[in-house]
Amino acid sequence: MSSKLKKSLIYWAILSPLMVVILFPFAVMFVTAVRPRDELFVFPPRWGFSEFRWGNFAEMWVKTNFGEALFNSLYVSVLSTALALALSIPAAYALSRYRFRGKGAYRTFLLMTQMMSPIVLVLGLFRLMVALGMVNNLNSLVLTYAAFNMAFTIWMLQSYFSTIPRDLEEAAWIDGASHFTSLTRIFLPLAVPAMAVTGIFSFINGWNEFVLALTMIRSSDDFTLPVQIYSQVAGRFQVEWHHVMAGTVLATVPVAIVFSWLQKYLIRGMALGAVK
Amino acid sequence: MASVTIRNVEKSFGAMKVIHGVDIDVQDHEFVVLVGPSGCGKSTLLRMIAGLETISGGEIVIGDKVVNDVPPRDRDIAMVFQNYALYPHMSIFDNMGFSLKLRKRPKAEIEAKVKDAADILNLTSYLDRSPAQLSGGQRQRVAMGRALVRDAQVFLFDEPLSNLDAKLRVVMRTEIKALHQRLKTTSVYVTHDQIEAMTMADRIVVMNAGRVEQVGAPLELYDSPANLFVAGFLGSPSMNFIEGRYLRDGDTAQVICANGTALPAPVVSSAWNEKQVVLGVRPEHMHLADGGEGAAATVDVVEPTGANIEVLADLAGERVCAVFSERHPFRPGEKIELGWDLNKVHLFDPDSGNRI
Ligand SMILES: Nc1ncnc2c1ncn2[C@@H]1O[C@H](COP(=O)(O)OP(=O)(O)O)[C@@H](O)[C@H]1O
Ligand SMILES: [Mg+2]
Repeated sequence: MSSKLKKSLIYWAILSPLMVVILFPFAVMFVTAVRPRDELFVFPPRWGFSEFRWGNFAEMWVKTNFGEALFNSLYVSVLSTALALALSIPAAYALSRYRFRGKGAYRTFLLMTQMMSPIVLVLGLFRLMVALGMVNNLNSLVLTYAAFNMAFTIWMLQSYFSTIPRDLEEAAWIDGASHFTSLTRIFLPLAVPAMAVTGIFSFINGWNEFVLALTMIRSSDDFTLPVQIYSQVAGRFQVEWHHVMAGTVLATVPVAIVFSWLQKYLIRGMALGAVK
Repeated sequence: MASVTIRNVEKSFGAMKVIHGVDIDVQDHEFVVLVGPSGCGKSTLLRMIAGLETISGGEIVIGDKVVNDVPPRDRDIAMVFQNYALYPHMSIFDNMGFSLKLRKRPKAEIEAKVKDAADILNLTSYLDRSPAQLSGGQRQRVAMGRALVRDAQVFLFDEPLSNLDAKLRVVMRTEIKALHQRLKTTSVYVTHDQIEAMTMADRIVVMNAGRVEQVGAPLELYDSPANLFVAGFLGSPSMNFIEGRYLRDGDTAQVICANGTALPAPVVSSAWNEKQVVLGVRPEHMHLADGGEGAAATVDVVEPTGANIEVLADLAGERVCAVFSERHPFRPGEKIELGWDLNKVHLFDPDSGNRI
């Protein structure tokens, strides 16, 4: 056996307990989602099932109004990400390229906002949204998610921007580019990997967020996925666990797959950015 | 093409002043090298000419226009950066053609100019590659090419060869010089390497700690340095300095070292009689003397370079270096007598550092 193969086998062996821990909930979720209703609560619990029912997904889709919640989640996650990036990119650029008064204080402020849990602020945010007349409006989530993510995205983008040599922009100016042209033709193309990484981070945050969504949104038409799935469990006499699990599978698995696939390209992109 | 005039230019970063009133005149078509130790402000000065740093005081004139407030893109200059600053996401062709594209030149013209520059620089077969796929020397050429296609008024170079290995550096040095002789574009070239300065420059500006020490043609500076700094900076191995008391006696003069050794010295004004001076002797101006006309020395180390042998010796308690083209079979510890040509040695004032 080659030493390389041996090495990777050893690594897999070491990592396998971790994989079991991570994959176990997905497995339970999946088998529960595809079994018939009357096999949900057999004792002792079994992995197997008498019938593989894709139909659960279709039933769930209609019954829980899944499509609308999916759309709401996408709306909130995409827009909050776009907003956070649109504001963070100029802020991060200024932090990495210019000296200005209060720069250190601004950085510390960004860090400090990260030390406060969003839950502490929920009440205040709710009252703010009441004052703005935005309760029960998805845009309130867009605003708050973007705001919560910005400290991180600015920080992250700034540290990457600082690795892009200033010389490149200076060379572009000397070549005859305006500030704007050097930004769009030289700087931003080189910053794409960082923007993608922070964008994904921000998207996933919005996608998974629960507490704020539960607080701000009153009507079930505007529920995002986590709240919609939660509403299938909480305050009911009878919980349709196979539908809940089918919904959870649909909400988590596609996103997880897409992003674990994207990650490969992102890491490669990060490495390419370092070209001297 | 144009001249560049720097008038009493100053630069401060915050409270720290790094350029203290510099005056330099670069004539049209001239190749001027700014040389000095690391941190003396060469790059800062060059970047002020390029418009990449603001000017804290004084004036910079390109052609007949004061450019203090002109942004880099309107100065019509081209610059080669130390680490090349090639655009990593563009092909070599696009790197070289970028400036023309920005000026909205027709496609055919861009293609022709880039091809021309690539021909001159032997880059024709690399035009489709990306910078990451080239070697250091090739990237350096691309950086040159990017400047070449421009027909700019002035070329600025900031240590363009310092990332290359020693051999390639010598090759590129010659190529840049040949290119200048052909195009005659006014050039300002920054380096910390005195050999580059000596070999390439029409005129050298020696800088130290944000000030100009001396300006002149390479051999002029070499043969008559204005002060201790210039004398010690130019030349390798560098000039030997020996301090002592000056004694003039009619047509002959001596420098008496701390340990009492008398060294032959040139005749200068008798005002210096009995005063402390620094005797400066270049290693290649030393020769073996006999009959007591020179000074006794003890050989420490012998370093053959091939063309010459360099002898490090102890002379009157000081370590001095002598270069001989003859192959003397010296051994460490051997007593020799060193003399020098009095027409070629210098005396300096140890307080001001100026040549006497
Ligand atoms: N952006 C800057 N901010 C503060 N100090 C600087 C800056 N750029 C250069 N300096 C200082 O100015 C001096 C001259 O730097 P530089 O022109 O790069 O020297 P050289 O190119 O001769 O090695 C150095 O002491 C350096 O620390
Ligand atoms: Mg420098």
